Amino acid sequence: MTTTTTPQLALTRIFDAPRPLVYQAFTDPDHLAEWWGPIGNSLPRDEIEFDVRPGGHQRWTEVFADDPRIRVHVHFDLTQVVDGELLDGTMYITGQLPEGFEPFETRVRIEFHDEADGRTRLEVRQWLPEHLASPSEEGWLEAFTKLDAALAA
Amino acid sequence: MLSVVQERTSEDLDLLFGALADATRRGIVERLAVGEATVTELAAPFSISLPAISRHLKVLERASLITRSQQGRWRRARLSPTSLAGGATWLSRYERLWTESFGRLDDHLARLTSDQPTPQTETKTKTKPK
Repeated sequence: MTTTTTPQLALTRIFDAPRPLVYQAFTDPDHLAEWWGPIGNSLPRDEIEFDVRPGGHQRWTEVFADDPRIRVHVHFDLTQVVDGELLDGTMYITGQLPEGFEPFETRVRIEFHDEADGRTRLEVRQWLPEHLASPSEEGWLEAFTKLDAALAA
Repeated sequence: MLSVVQERTSEDLDLLFGALADATRRGIVERLAVGEATVTELAAPFSISLPAISRHLKVLERASLITRSQQGRWRRARLSPTSLAGGATWLSRYERLWTESFGRLDDHLARLTSDQPTPQTETKTKTKPK
């Protein structure tokens, strides 16, 4: 997947907690289950499996509250990990997805930065799945080429 | 991997470009990127009639940009998952996922830090990100 382009989603958030604790909230299975995911969804503890290191992974399942048949498997394959500072890799979303969704992969980069007064600045970057990524570029160019061809015919 | 545009024929492209060549219809698409809506909800920001909005929706539907479903008395419009606006929809969904999760992470961290208070967290003014 394309990782050199600018991320399409960039979020910054300050948390009122020290950096090691915020990092732990992302990298300790017991912590992640407490807060991650759409409200109401649950992460079965026995389906959370973390191996946080460069080349490692974070895996879990999200069960939808209003339809428990929907079970989303998230496999976050980690390419870059700096303890307490950085998680970067590709998330593979598979499983029994909500209607209208197809399996996809998305690059995600999460940076943890110190802020004044023992707070932590989180920087989240996320890249669109390839099939949605750049209609403005490749897709549109292709469309215009076809349009030209159609007009010339 | 499939590109949405690649699957379109030149007739489809006529419909697509025609549908997007109108400011009101582009406004409707932008609104639907946030989530599905009824005709009444879609009409609110525009000073045009409900039948006029319905006509715009028909154009968007023919161009496969939106789909409509019947729920009781109400027809709800939503962006077609395979439309060009799919990227915008996807982003707004993920932005909401992160934002909701951050709210819960705030609460989680607050519980943890109050279990193990340090002089710093006790005297500090809590800033509550929205």
